[in-house]
Amino acid sequence: MKEIINIKGLEYTYPDGTTALCGIDLTVSEGESIGLIGPNGAGKSTLLLHLNGILRGKGQVKVLGLEIDDENLMSIRSKVGLVFQDPEDQLFMPTVFDNVAFGPINTGLEKCKVEDSVKKALEEVEMEEFSLRYAHHLSFGEKKRIALATVLSMNLELLVLDEPTSNLDPRARRHLIKLLTGFRVTKIVAGHDLEMILDICHRVVLLDKGKIITNGEPKEILSDKSLMETHGLEIPLSIL
Amino acid sequence: MHLPEIDKYAHISSPFHSWDPRIKLISLSLLIFSIVLNHSLIIASFALLLAIILVFLSKIPFSFVLIHLRWVLLFCLFFFIIMPLTVPGDEIIRLNFVSISWEGTKYASLITLRAISAVLLIFPMIGTMKFDTTIKALQRLKVPNKFVQMIMFTYRYVFVFMEEARRMFTAADARIFKKGTNIRTLRITSNLVGMLFIHSFERTQNIYNSMVSRGYTGYLKTLDEFRVCGKDFLKAFSIVVIALILTIAGRIL
Repeated sequence: MKEIINIKGLEYTYPDGTTALCGIDLTVSEGESIGLIGPNGAGKSTLLLHLNGILRGKGQVKVLGLEIDDENLMSIRSKVGLVFQDPEDQLFMPTVFDNVAFGPINTGLEKCKVEDSVKKALEEVEMEEFSLRYAHHLSFGEKKRIALATVLSMNLELLVLDEPTSNLDPRARRHLIKLLTGFRVTKIVAGHDLEMILDICHRVVLLDKGKIITNGEPKEILSDKSLMETHGLEIPLSIL
Repeated sequence: MHLPEIDKYAHISSPFHSWDPRIKLISLSLLIFSIVLNHSLIIASFALLLAIILVFLSKIPFSFVLIHLRWVLLFCLFFFIIMPLTVPGDEIIRLNFVSISWEGTKYASLITLRAISAVLLIFPMIGTMKFDTTIKALQRLKVPNKFVQMIMFTYRYVFVFMEEARRMFTAADARIFKKGTNIRTLRITSNLVGMLFIHSFERTQNIYNSMVSRGYTGYLKTLDEFRVCGKDFLKAFSIVVIALILTIAGRIL
């Protein structure tokens, strides 16, 4: 199976001296859904930012077989969709259409193809009638779905989501989980919503203090009480 | 939360709404310049009348316009307080040691008339199209991209900023913070504003990361569909002629 991510010995230290990642080794194959879990400050978001070259640490990071360097950056960014935790950060253009079209336009697509990909992306998140709406008029749940559409409109091979269900009401959360479950693209989902991780992911990576603690079957890891409690997590109610 | 949106009436229909955004921006900008550069009180009065007529033609309700105009009126009020007392010239009234000059009153009136006319004209110019259309029109007019981005981000995030400010002040109120005219209020308010700026700085970094992750390299690209027709040029011609008449008349009078 095609290798989507290959990380070897990744280390990253923030300019203030905080070590965020320490010797990360991770391989992700095509079609996998990986849940990245861990306490606050474990390094989950920092690791995600390495996947399309926003942060660059020491060690090897290969995405879609390409080393992250200046030459490959645009090609990688056009295939890796990164959805940030706060949709306000993702929806920086005035209208929904402009937000969803931002990525495809930057990849140099023709106008008709941009319009086509925007339409398809909005259909995928069931928001096709919102195209001309202003981003600041949307509810939080709607913003989350449009934030997802902003990356689906690109020619994605890897979908990276940082806390996709945070601050959502139960209905919007279920809806988003249903949408995510339906996507066949390779996914990496970071979050504290372990029920969502159980629903979506085939494999779980537990991260703490910048290191990978364990990596394996979601049910096996999430039901290990001592492991979960040691790393500031709790067993999800559904497997108690 | 109330959102102070200038394009609230962008969906209605009027000769300004159907005008090509790029030509409308240029034509009305010329008219605004011809008004603000004029030194005649008579022309300034006529310009105010003209601006009112144009707002009327744009079908934007005057109640909406007046709400936004109140800050300009408040600003102009200071000119009426300061200038008649400070600008030397023929005396109109003298009350003990205070004298009100004709020149000062004239300059204050001139500034007020020009400012109100210019602000009124902003409504048919910007208020008759959606904000994203204005941004795209500015881009097509080759306005520097950084400037366009600044306008766009300011408008997009002013609502987020207002919401954050509201939340922070609510949190302060919940802990029995009472606004007053004292040093404590000033200190707490400045701390809250400082925190807002720190939040804004953090948000800017996240937004930048989000943009970069979708291929942003410093230049904002958008799609638009502008079509110019004969009517657009006719409207532009009328406005430019009026601007020229105002300029020439201002020099003669």
